[in-house]
Amino acid sequence: MTALSNLEEDFILKAIEESKRLDGRQPYDYRRTKIEFGVERGCCMVHMGDTRILAQVSCEVVEPKENRPNEGQLFVNLELSPMASTTFEAGRLSDYGIELNRLLERTVKDSRAVDVESLCIVAGEKVWKIRLDVHVLNHDGNILDSACIAALAALSHFRRPDVTVIGESVTIHSPQDRDPVPLNVHHIPVCVTFAFYHKGKRLLVDPTEKEEKVMEGTMVVGMNVHRELCTMQVTGSMLILKEQIIRCCQIGVVKVSELTELIKQALEKDKTARAEGKKFGFAESHPKKSITSKVIPEQTLDTSDVEDEVSRIMETAELPEQVSSKLEIKKPGLGQIGDGLTNSWLDDGDADEAEEEENGNSKEEDEMEGAIGSEDEDEEEEEEEEEKKMIVTKPKAKDKRKGKSKAYVSDSEEEETFTLDNADLDVIQGTKSQKLSEELDLTAALKKPSDKTKSRGNTRAKGGKKKWKKEQNIKDRP
Amino acid sequence: MAAEFKTAQPVEYYKQFLKEEVRPDGRELGEIRSTILNVGSISTAHGSALVKLGNTTVVCGIKGEFASPTVEEPKKGYLVPNVDLPPLCSAQFKPGPPSIQAQVTSQLVADTLLSSNLLNYEDLCIKEGNMVWVLYCDMMCLDYDGNIIDACLIALLAALRNVRLPVVTIDEDTGLAELSSTEDRSLNIVNQFAATTFSVFDDSILLVDPTVEEEDLATGLMTVIVTQDGRLCNIHKPGGTPLSTDQIQDCIGRAQTRAKEICSLIDDTLDSIER
Amino acid sequence: MTSNPENNSSVEIRPIGSLQSCISKPDGSAVFTQGDTSVMAAVYGPGDVKPNKALMDKATVTVTYKPKIGISGVREKALERMIRNTCETVLLTTLFPRSSVDIIVQEIQDAGALLACSINAACLAMINAGIPMKCTVAASCCMMGKDEELIMDPTKEQTKDAECVLTSAIDSSAHSLIASSMQGSCSVEQYHKLMSVCQKACDKVFEFYREAMERTLSKP
Repeated sequence: MTALSNLEEDFILKAIEESKRLDGRQPYDYRRTKIEFGVERGCCMVHMGDTRILAQVSCEVVEPKENRPNEGQLFVNLELSPMASTTFEAGRLSDYGIELNRLLERTVKDSRAVDVESLCIVAGEKVWKIRLDVHVLNHDGNILDSACIAALAALSHFRRPDVTVIGESVTIHSPQDRDPVPLNVHHIPVCVTFAFYHKGKRLLVDPTEKEEKVMEGTMVVGMNVHRELCTMQVTGSMLILKEQIIRCCQIGVVKVSELTELIKQALEKDKTARAEGKKFGFAESHPKKSITSKVIPEQTLDTSDVEDEVSRIMETAELPEQVSSKLEIKKPGLGQIGDGLTNSWLDDGDADEAEEEENGNSKEEDEMEGAIGSEDEDEEEEEEEEEKKMIVTKPKAKDKRKGKSKAYVSDSEEEETFTLDNADLDVIQGTKSQKLSEELDLTAALKKPSDKTKSRGNTRAKGGKKKWKKEQNIKDRP
Repeated sequence: MAAEFKTAQPVEYYKQFLKEEVRPDGRELGEIRSTILNVGSISTAHGSALVKLGNTTVVCGIKGEFASPTVEEPKKGYLVPNVDLPPLCSAQFKPGPPSIQAQVTSQLVADTLLSSNLLNYEDLCIKEGNMVWVLYCDMMCLDYDGNIIDACLIALLAALRNVRLPVVTIDEDTGLAELSSTEDRSLNIVNQFAATTFSVFDDSILLVDPTVEEEDLATGLMTVIVTQDGRLCNIHKPGGTPLSTDQIQDCIGRAQTRAKEICSLIDDTLDSIER
Repeated sequence: MTSNPENNSSVEIRPIGSLQSCISKPDGSAVFTQGDTSVMAAVYGPGDVKPNKALMDKATVTVTYKPKIGISGVREKALERMIRNTCETVLLTTLFPRSSVDIIVQEIQDAGALLACSINAACLAMINAGIPMKCTVAASCCMMGKDEELIMDPTKEQTKDAECVLTSAIDSSAHSLIASSMQGSCSVEQYHKLMSVCQKACDKVFEFYREAMERTLSKP
C-alpha cells in the first residue's frame, strides 16, 4: 500500500487535534468487534472493523524439552498473509511481523495464560505441544489487539483429546470415545494499542491503518481483567509523560473488561448452540440478508443418464493400438523399448559391442590380477566403506559381513565397469538423435580403432581411477 | 536459418512441423522416445535402476533403513520417495532448496505410491510395533529433457523390483537386530503401474511424451497413470487447455498400451539378470 | 449425503454458500462454503509486478495457498500449482502484459473436497475482482466407495474408506476438463461415471455463480 498524500495526512492530524476521527468514532472507542467460531474446536475468526484475523489451535504429542521434562509446550505463530495487504510477502516474516509475533507471544505465552504443566502426559517422555496459528487475513490497523482476542478465544474454545496412562502404555482417546478436554486457561490477557499524535499529547485507541500511518508511536498495554499488567511496550519517535502512561493504563482497564466480556459471551453463545444441536460454524454466520451472500440448500443430481454417457464414450473410443514397439534386451540388466528415431547405425554396431564387452571382461580380469599390488589399500578402503554402511544399518552385524566383504566388493567392481559401458552406450544413443548428419562420420571414427587400442584406453582409464583411489586413501589417513 | 527461425518463432516453427504430422525430432505425434532401462546400476544401494527416455535420464537408488513404525500402524513399513532435480540436469534449475518442479513431482510420486497399492507394506515389518524397514527412494535426474514423471516412475518401479533386503533376525536376549549376510529377499510387488504424459500444443494438438521444448510451449499437460491390468491410478492434469471426455479416453487407451509395454520391459530386463 | 441405496440414480451435493467482497483490502474476495468446508480467496490485480517476474506478453499469475495449521510444505506447493494453472487457463492474461494477478487462497475449514472448494473460491474471487476471463471454472469432488456406490462432494470421514476420489475442474464454455486429480484407483468405466457426475455437479456450481452474481449486482 502506498503512502498517504500530504493532504490526507494533514487532514487526519487536524481532525485528531479536534478529537475527531475519519470513521466518526470517539478517540477512545473500539470499532465494532465480532467473534465467530468454526465447526472445529479451537478455530476462531475475529472482525475488528475491517481487520480480519483467523486463529486455529492444534495439538500433537511430542517429547518435552530436556530442561523442562514435565511441562507441555505452547507455540505461537503469527503470519501476515499476503491476502491482508500487498506489502506482506508469503513465507517471509517482515520486521513488523517479527515484532507482532513477539508481542503476541509475550502476551499469551510469557504471561502464563495457559497452564503448561497440565499438558504433561508422561514426565520426560510425552507432553502435548499446543500450536497456535494466527493468520492476518485483512489489514486495517490494530492487528495486535484483534490477534490477541482471536488467540485467547481460540485457546479457550479448543479441546484436546483425553489421555489415560496405565503403567507404561498411553492411550489417546478419539473424540467419539471420550469427550475431549479443554485447556486450563488461567486468565485472559488482552492487548490494547494506543497511537500517539502531536508529540505524544493526543492519543487514539484502536487505530485504523490510515491512522497508523501518520502516528508518531504506539504504546501497547497487555492486561487481564484483574488489572494485572502482562505486557507493556512503547515505541516510536515521541516522548511521553508519566501521566500519559497512567492514563493509558486506566483506559486499558475499561477496554480489557469490555473485550473479556465479549470473548466470554461469544464462547457462551457457541456453547449453547452446540449443546442445543443448532447449526454453528462460519457458514452459518454469513450475513444472510446481504446481497453479497448467497446460499443454496442441498441439491440432488439426477444420475440416471450417466450409464448411457459412459457406454457412449466407451463405444466411440478407438481401441488402443496393440503393443507394437519391439522390446530388446541388449545385455543382462539393460533393456530397451522402441527405437524412437531412425536407428540405422546402431544395429550393425551390435556385433562390435558384443566384442567390446568380451574384451572388456577379459581385460578386467587381467587387470584384477595386475592390480594385486595395490589391493591392500583397496581392501582397507573397502573396509572403511563397509564400516560406514554398517553404521547406517546396524553395528551388530559388522563382524559377520567383514569376512565376505572382499569378494563382495570385487563383484561390485565388475558391475561398475558394466555400468560404465552402458552409460557410454547411452551417450552414443542420445547424441544420435540430435546430429543426424554427423553420425556417419562418428560411426566411422568409432569403428576405426582396433580393439587393442580401445581396451588399452579403457585400462588407462581404470588405472587412473585406481590411482585416484590411492590418493584418496592417503588423504584419508592422517 | 532453421535455428534462427526456431529461436524467434518457436510456436510457428513447431506448427510447420505439426502440419505435416511430424515433430521436429522426427517422431510422429503419438510416438514415444526410445526407453532404455538398466537395473542394478548402483551396487551400493539395495535396489537401483537407470532409465533413459530419449535424453531424459533418471537414476533411482533405494536404500533401506530401520525405523520405528507409527503408533497407528505398528505393522507397516513405509516408502519415502524424493525427486531431485539438481542444477546438473538443466540450466533451468538453480542450486539451493528443491525447486517447485521437484517438489510437485515428489508429491505426485508419493500420491501415486499411496493410491496404487504397489506393495503390501506389512511385508516391510521386522518386529511389530518396534522395527520396520523404511525405504528411501531417491530419484535423481541426470539430464532433463521433458517428461520427468514417466521416467521417474519407471525408474522407481524397476528399482523397487530390484530391491534385495538382507533377512533380519532379532536377537532375543539383546533385542538387537542382526543382518544376515547370505540370505536376502526381494519385495513382493503386487501392482505395477506406468505413467504416460501428454502435452497439448496450441490448444489443439495432443503430443505424447513431450520433450522439454514441447513442455515449455505446451498449453496444457496431462499425466495418465495406469496399472498393469488397465485400471486407472491417477489422471493428473494440473490446469491448462480443457480436454473433452473423448480426448481423455483416447489418452487413457494410449496409456494402457504404454503401461503394458513398460511392465514387460521391466519384467524382461529383470529376468535377464540373476543376482 | 449418501446416495439412496434403493434408487441408485441420484446423488446429493452439500449446500453451497458464498460471501463476496468479504474483506476490504483486495480487489476481489470471496468465501466459498460447501457443507462445512470453507475457503477464502482474495485477488489482487492486475497490478504491479516485480521486474524479474514480468512477462512480455501476458500477466504473471501467482497463487499462494495458506493452510490453516502450520506452514506450507510440499503438498501445498502441489495444490498451488494446480490452482494457479487452472486460474491462468481461464484468465485473459494476454490483456495485461507486464502486470501481475495475485491470488491468495486461505483454508478456513477442511471437511472434505478441499481442492474443489479452493478452485471455486478462487474463481468467485476473480469474478468479484472483475478481471476479464474467457469463461468460468468450477470444480467438484466425487468418490466411489467400496461397493461402487457414488458419493458426491464427500466429507472427510467418508473419504477415509474410499476406493477412489476424483476431483475435476470443468470450464463453463465447452464443459471440458481443465484440471483433474485422483486418489485411489478405479476402472476406466468407473472413471467416466465419476467424471460425468462431476460434470453435473459443476453445472450446479455454474448456476450458483450466476445466481450469486445476479444477487450481488442487484439493487438492495
